[in-house]
Amino acid sequence: MTDGASLWLSRKKWLWAGLGVPVLVAAWWAFRPEKLWINEKVNEPAPFASSSDPQPLYTGRLAGKAHATTGRASIYQTPDGKRDLRLTDFATSNGPDLHVLLAQSDDESLARDFVKGELNSVELGRLRANQGDQNYDLPGSVDLSKYDSVVIYCERFHAVFGVAKLERF
Amino acid sequence: MMVRKIKFAMALAALTVALGLRVSVYAQDNMKHENGAKTLATGTFHGKVHQTSGRATIYKEEDGKLVLRLTNFKTSNGPDVHVILIAAGDADDNANFLKSNTERVELGKLKGNEGDQNYEIPAGTDLAKYRTVSVYCERFDANFGAAPLEKF
Repeated sequence: MTDGASLWLSRKKWLWAGLGVPVLVAAWWAFRPEKLWINEKVNEPAPFASSSDPQPLYTGRLAGKAHATTGRASIYQTPDGKRDLRLTDFATSNGPDLHVLLAQSDDESLARDFVKGELNSVELGRLRANQGDQNYDLPGSVDLSKYDSVVIYCERFHAVFGVAKLERF
Repeated sequence: MMVRKIKFAMALAALTVALGLRVSVYAQDNMKHENGAKTLATGTFHGKVHQTSGRATIYKEEDGKLVLRLTNFKTSNGPDVHVILIAAGDADDNANFLKSNTERVELGKLKGNEGDQNYEIPAGTDLAKYRTVSVYCERFDANFGAAPLEKF
């Protein structure tokens, strides 16, 4: 025990310690390894948050399939729980019997330009216009974690004009 | 002869109406409850080396101030991590903006590696030029994650 203590006090050890500690401190400062385990959480409110405004829940860009389609599809929710779909910067080609639908992004039918048979979908209504901003009410019960894609669909020819995969806002 | 011409013209008109494919209909629904701030652009983060996810959105407040807001945000914690806007359409996980001389706008030190947070964007920043958000470790010039922004 006394041997160990005298060794620790020997000059060489002090030299090593004098060199080693700054190196360790520098390495710690550079890499901050403790940050691998320590998380810093923040939760700032939106700077303009007004609880009476509808909040966007999901959004996605429309991509054209059978016809060139562009724009953004977003789902908003009002404080009373009502949800609606809003299309912005929207443009598609005009056509007969166009509808706005919600469908499942993993549905194989959506990968093709034309759907064989029926598309498993939720109807939101006839497309009001092939250009411009427009809103569609969502049925209260629709499960958006399941029906996570907006589809511009031509019922007559079963043509998928455009699809937007919705992502959490 | 004249009757035939008129008939032809009428048939042509009917055909045009029937096809109707070239006719555009324009809608202009208003946002039902427009609040003060306007959402300009949004995008989602990607980053695999340092798992980064969430959404970056740029708002314009009523007084014209630009704000970047991160939501559902998560990245790995690290030393000297900053939020920057870069003059590029997107950035790879291993992008080194120092080496590639990418122009950037500093928005400040990352406030937290998890959670919702806001950053002020300096007045006069050209958002048509700086269109990607990067979470960037200054010390090691490492891009933790990038979010390419698209018009909202």
